[in-house]
Amino acid sequence: MTATFAILKRELLTYFVSPLAYVFLGVFLFLAGVFFYLGIALTGEASLRVMLGNVSISLMFVLPMLTMRHFAEEQKTGTFEMLMTSPVSPVAILVGKWLASLTLCLVMLLGTGLFVAILAYYGDPDWGVVATSYLGLLLTCGVFCAGGLFASSLTDDQVAAGMGGIVLLMPLWLVGSASSLVGEEWQARLDHLALLPHLRSFTKGVIDTADIAYFALLTFGFLFLTFRTLESRRWR
Amino acid sequence: MALSRQWRRRLAYGGNATLVTGLVLALLGVVYGVADRNRARWDLSSDSTNQLQPDTLKKLELLAADGQEVEVIAFSSQEGKADTFFRDRAMKDLLAELDYHSATVKTRFVDFDRERLTAESLGVTEYGHLVVRRGEQRVDLKAREIFRNQGTGADRSLEFLGESAFSRAAAQLLSNRRKVIYTLRGHGELDPDERGPGGLSELKALLDQENYELKPLDFFFDRERAGAPSVPTDAAALLIPRPKAPLTDAEEDALITYVASGGAVGIFWDPGAPLPDLVERLGVTSPEGVVMDKLRVFPYNDRPVPVYGGHSLVEDLREERIVTVVAHVAPVRVPEELPGWITPSTVLRTSRDGWIDRGGALDKGAAVYEPDIDLIGPVDIAVALELTPGQGGLVNEGKRVSRVLLMGDADALSNVIMGEGPGNPSFAVNAARWLTWDDARLAVVGKPTRVRRLALTDEDQGRIRWLVLGLLPALSVLAGGAVWANRRGQ
Amino acid sequence: MIEVEHLTKRYGAFTAIEDVSFSVPKGHVLGFIGPNGAGKTTTMRVLTGFLPATEGRAVVAGFDVFEDPVEVKRRVGYLPETPPLYRELTVGEYLRFCAELRELPRADRLRRVGEVMERVGLRGWERRVLGTLSKGYRQRVGLAQALLHNPPVLILDEPTSGLDPAQNVGVRELIAGLAGDHTIILSTHILPEVEALCAQVVLINKGKIAAAGTMEAVRAQAAPAYFRVSLDAPGVEPAAVARAVGALAEVKVVQPEGEGLRVEAEPGVDPRPAIASMAVGRGWGVRGLERTIPTLEEAFLSIVGREGA
Repeated sequence: MTATFAILKRELLTYFVSPLAYVFLGVFLFLAGVFFYLGIALTGEASLRVMLGNVSISLMFVLPMLTMRHFAEEQKTGTFEMLMTSPVSPVAILVGKWLASLTLCLVMLLGTGLFVAILAYYGDPDWGVVATSYLGLLLTCGVFCAGGLFASSLTDDQVAAGMGGIVLLMPLWLVGSASSLVGEEWQARLDHLALLPHLRSFTKGVIDTADIAYFALLTFGFLFLTFRTLESRRWR
Repeated sequence: MALSRQWRRRLAYGGNATLVTGLVLALLGVVYGVADRNRARWDLSSDSTNQLQPDTLKKLELLAADGQEVEVIAFSSQEGKADTFFRDRAMKDLLAELDYHSATVKTRFVDFDRERLTAESLGVTEYGHLVVRRGEQRVDLKAREIFRNQGTGADRSLEFLGESAFSRAAAQLLSNRRKVIYTLRGHGELDPDERGPGGLSELKALLDQENYELKPLDFFFDRERAGAPSVPTDAAALLIPRPKAPLTDAEEDALITYVASGGAVGIFWDPGAPLPDLVERLGVTSPEGVVMDKLRVFPYNDRPVPVYGGHSLVEDLREERIVTVVAHVAPVRVPEELPGWITPSTVLRTSRDGWIDRGGALDKGAAVYEPDIDLIGPVDIAVALELTPGQGGLVNEGKRVSRVLLMGDADALSNVIMGEGPGNPSFAVNAARWLTWDDARLAVVGKPTRVRRLALTDEDQGRIRWLVLGLLPALSVLAGGAVWANRRGQ
Repeated sequence: MIEVEHLTKRYGAFTAIEDVSFSVPKGHVLGFIGPNGAGKTTTMRVLTGFLPATEGRAVVAGFDVFEDPVEVKRRVGYLPETPPLYRELTVGEYLRFCAELRELPRADRLRRVGEVMERVGLRGWERRVLGTLSKGYRQRVGLAQALLHNPPVLILDEPTSGLDPAQNVGVRELIAGLAGDHTIILSTHILPEVEALCAQVVLINKGKIAAAGTMEAVRAQAAPAYFRVSLDAPGVEPAAVARAVGALAEVKVVQPEGEGLRVEAEPGVDPRPAIASMAVGRGWGVRGLERTIPTLEEAFLSIVGREGA
């Protein structure tokens, strides 16, 4: 626990003392802002729903860039060796890093709080829906961070890790719109794998245990794969 | 000992590790499967938008009981029109809810523009249409039954009544029984089987689509009904479309008896036609003359463009500003004072410029109001009466409220006008629904979904644009720059 | 303190180390030498628990590396070949993080970080960003990191690489000061350093131990002792002198070396008395008779071969 917290702290420190986190924040907020603005300008609705789908897709591209350095860089600079020779379990390292990127996501999402403030100032948003939307988005971030970490653990080349993360996560998006390839019936099955159908209920104000299970299991699955990769890098 | 160390090493690090990984991932899939089959969910939206009403859920359950598949096919709204986005989204949300709650319901959202063939094969010609099918049965819901505009300008809002629409359709599928509407025959009435311009075959076909059977009722020539005339017990409503000869006393009695038992009657006539006694018993008269209006369907002098009254059965037509065409109309006069058990409500009337023409303006070739002869309007064309049981009234205590629709025009239902008047089919269907108490279909089940609008001026939009696209990203980048500079300084 | 038995590490078909066994008593400094790619780093990684061995076992500070890796890691300070630094952090931030990782009690952390910085000569460098440090200072920070938790065992992978001579001496003194309290394994290229610091040496080549033991034993094992003989034989051909010496039973090989002779004997045999009496008998003067022990470098080269060095 202490170790997880130490790693979380260290990662956050590294994020926020380098311009990296701020650039990410800026890029993300700009993208989200474009979607938010287009959403309200085109529909005139006091809701984040239009924005959320697009933001989740952009997170799919942004977050692997954020997590790519986690293991790739540590492998390269040798700090990974130090971590692994400390009396700290790989799981603690993993969870610490995952929590760190998730915390940064939280900061990014907090930044979009301005959008909610705008909605509340000019209109009357449904607060229940706003709350579940953010919950859904945070769960999505959890999946993307875990996927990004997994990609990062596979290589010690940061760029490859970032690209790999995007390639890894992309299917979660693409399988949701494969009906023209596989037909309606299979699409209904693939929708279980796809991310957006699970996010959709959150954006409507619904919390469904199956959706939560989807995000939680996917996150766990990626973290588990990362763990196995870290282990295997030692014996391969 | 050495062997066991060896073995443990392999398990942790060797090829077995791949196997273990695969097993764990498979297990995750199984856990998801279990979670998917045992869902629990909470709707946190403050309008409970995503919660189907208990009534709807009950109907879904009943529909699923025999395992027969129910197809719900929704068509997209017209591209580019205001609110298209919300309409389609609300519809898709509803379909998702139906899908979620029922295994036998198969939903489909059809892009009307892109999948014309699908629309054609289903006989759908309008945007925003909803088709509910189950085996041979089918219920069609029009966009204006599903969406409703409220208010105007900045306060304008769109209401989505999809759930109630579906609920009504489901009720119809479940009732399974087609309602029978009788039309009186034997006095020269308009005939449902007549295909000519003066027939009612169009009306019959239209009602058939809506699950109503239009059956002739003939007290004289129907052998099955030998003996004292009476309205059959399976009658959901009785239509009397312009008799040319008066009814016999026995028929008048049968009609009164029917109304006394809570029956629903629609009486349509034209100038000069005899009226059943029932009309008089209700205090309604039809003064001599023809209804005219400065507002008329050119070039016809005797086709005033009716204004919709406050009655619910013309609500959608009024809102959508769709014209119902009437021709050669007899006035309907409801006295100021009526007994308490009669509740009148205007369905159609003339504009303020309407009058009852008694000077034969038609023959003169010009429709002009002649103050010395004519009676100034506005003139009622159609009224709906609800007769409360008891209270010394016509309807017996303990029976259902009787509904009576009185209309000084029968042509509006005829094949020729039905084809001409844009609003006439809807008017006829709505009238049938109201008479048969199917206007629950018009009522709203559960809460309608409202669009929460953002009232933004151009100035507001500009301000938001700068705030969101300029200031916010700039601030974070500036913060980054500051931290970086600070660090470098050390 | 450190027991290594039949350690083997294979990466697929490649064998990094094979059947490596040695032990280091408490408080001793073991010099771990060998050419690049010989398996030094791999061995150290196994000992620190970073890599699992394919076969064999290693016990460090009383715990089996495979069975109780966490206990071993608690007791080992490790300085990898490149100091494991987070470039964005300052020295202080980094060491405090390490202190947390090393489970130092909250109350001790700051004090301990201060002590260690003092010890490795980083006083006043706390707010410097690691990425801006020179190689020498990075090495110091790496060393500080390894010392933070005051581990009984220190494993240092080339702690002096890249340092200038002055810094080198500093690190050497530091390690010398640590010996006694700490059991140290020190891998290095710089043989004089080993000679200066280590009582024991393990020479590893191509994944196998080529020589091990005390410094003397290794030297002797690598290249047996020889004798420099310089006789004053006026009017006698040097070749004749050599023949005369070579004829002695105690002498194995004779080679001319400079003005004298290089004489090798069977191990454990000292030919000097025989040579002296032979010389005296022939009336030759004895200018020098000395036993020469080979340097570690010579031993290293004799084992590894010149191409490996």
